[in-house]
Amino acid sequence: MPDYLLEYQSVSESEEKMLDDVTGILAAHNIEGELRQAFILTVSEAFTNALTHGNNYDTDKLIKISIYINHNSLTADIIDEGKGGLKKVFEKSPPTLLSEHGRGVDLMRYYSSAVRFRKTSIGGLRVTVVFEMKKNEVT
Amino acid sequence: MEIVLREEGHVSVLSLTGRLDLASGTSLKEEIKKLFDRDCASIHLDLSNVDFINSSGLGALVSVMKEVRLRKGRLTLSNLANYVKEIFEITQLSHIFEIFETEQEAINSYQSVPTS
Repeated sequence: MPDYLLEYQSVSESEEKMLDDVTGILAAHNIEGELRQAFILTVSEAFTNALTHGNNYDTDKLIKISIYINHNSLTADIIDEGKGGLKKVFEKSPPTLLSEHGRGVDLMRYYSSAVRFRKTSIGGLRVTVVFEMKKNEVT
Repeated sequence: MEIVLREEGHVSVLSLTGRLDLASGTSLKEEIKKLFDRDCASIHLDLSNVDFINSSGLGALVSVMKEVRLRKGRLTLSNLANYVKEIFEITQLSHIFEIFETEQEAINSYQSVPTS
């Protein structure tokens, strides 16, 4: 069972709410500094991908985030209910310097200890980001 | 995100506060479009109070920069927090944006680099 289960409608306004929620959860566990910034950025990238490419702003579809916190790691699953998310993540050309899109996956890979992309049973995309933690990074 | 606009000579200075992400990136582009409509293409963005930026926010800045270039203007940035600066380095966007340590340095640079 996740420590936190969050659900959002596929609308632009959900992004700010999600960022507030995740920020609050990290604050409650005294997770600060670089780990906090990296986790929020990474979850945000997966959320934006789910909102725009996965659910394509379909208000009947949800974006679900499960967060697991223990003494060794901080993990989030970001799940959409769309179709073809995996294809859209991996079949895109790498961004050029002047591209307006396409940097999210690279940022997720840079900041997290591990990132996995899997198709869900209903064809959506499940993105799992893992951050290994040093001692005293969580309470 | 809060966007406050003021004029410094012919330079439009926008001070941004909050998160620069998908939604606020769209708001920023809309604000800057209003400047283009007034033929203003010398634009400085003060990012000192931007506490979060993601790839959507970066995309909005790239979009603005391309529009500014089309209009033969200039876009400068200043006061990037270390975290924001790091993201510019990782994505190599630091190579294509004019980034200054302070707002004043950026504004002064418009006096020595004329726009056409």
